[in-house]
Amino acid sequence: MVVEQEQRLGDLKPLHGRLVRLRALEPEDEPLLYEWFNDPEVTSTGGGHGYPISHARERDWIDEANRPGYDYCHFGIVALDDDRLIGTVSLRRTSPENRSADLGLSIGEKTRWNQGYATDAMRVVCRFGFQQMNLHRIELGTYAEHAAAIRVYEKVGFKAEVRTRDSAFFGGRYRDGVLMGLLEGELIE
Amino acid sequence: MSELRELVEHRPLEGRLVRLRPRDMEDEPALHSWINDPDVTQNLAARYPYSHEAEREFVKSLRDTNYKNAGFGIETLAEGKLIGNLGFHETEAESRRATLGIMIGEKDYWDRGYGTDAMRVLCRFGFEMMNLHRIELEVLAVNARARRVYEKVGFQFEGTRRDAFYKFGRYIDAHVMSLLEGELRWD
Repeated sequence: MVVEQEQRLGDLKPLHGRLVRLRALEPEDEPLLYEWFNDPEVTSTGGGHGYPISHARERDWIDEANRPGYDYCHFGIVALDDDRLIGTVSLRRTSPENRSADLGLSIGEKTRWNQGYATDAMRVVCRFGFQQMNLHRIELGTYAEHAAAIRVYEKVGFKAEVRTRDSAFFGGRYRDGVLMGLLEGELIE
Repeated sequence: MSELRELVEHRPLEGRLVRLRPRDMEDEPALHSWINDPDVTQNLAARYPYSHEAEREFVKSLRDTNYKNAGFGIETLAEGKLIGNLGFHETEAESRRATLGIMIGEKDYWDRGYGTDAMRVLCRFGFEMMNLHRIELEVLAVNARARRVYEKVGFQFEGTRRDAFYKFGRYIDAHVMSLLEGELRWD
């Protein structure tokens, strides 16, 4: 019985999905992240106003983000097929009392868009949040017009909860935001 | 309405029942008693008790009132008595948005229109003096009284963050509401 239990525990791969695995970010990832987070095509879908980011700032950010833990959990997303970094995903603003966290995802490698990598990474990070961090609720924000992202989030089980009117201004106009939530037990694998 | 127009030109922090003013160390005992009063905090996010030392640090952090730190005390016009706090946090300049928080700490002043008046004055200040476009707030689903006040002022319900707060042994939904430029109501 004990042996069985140990085998099962040993089989746990909390950071692995079908297409991707998650790992900590490293200082060596800086050039890629610098490229992605200065690319308006990548950043416009995740919010932000498009201010440029220096190498120094990016290095500082990695220095902060590369120690995943309960309070501030950032991961690099690595494609299983060629073991290369294709994006980042995070659980932030965790509240132990509310057992909640905010999720942020970015697939920086544009050649990997629309092929299921974001969906798989979402599933892995949400499973990690529920099964390893013991969260009750995971929340994310996107824009109402960003239909492709909303479809991915809904596929994983997120429900659109709030439509925030005119809550973000960029590209010359106000845009509605959408807050989406996923509770324990709602993740669709 | 034209009367209010004149008022706002000269006294943007005054309403019909209250004025908004900065807080000083003399206010610390009142602020400390409110944040430690379970009747006051039961519908707020606050959970842990506050020491006088922590409260003094908080009051110090309020010293400069400005775009990023637009917090006020609520004082009655009639007696000049401090009865609560309110203000904006998480102001974001590019999107011209801010999040509003309010507490009426003096329980004798509940349900008498003071909170409503203070909300109106702060929102007017936000739109007309800070040039905000959107003011948002969150209210626990169990706090029906507050939600009625927000609706009276013109806030619109936008949706429900399910199980967003845990207090008193259960998860509680949070309602998100917002008020855009031009939506503030005085009657």
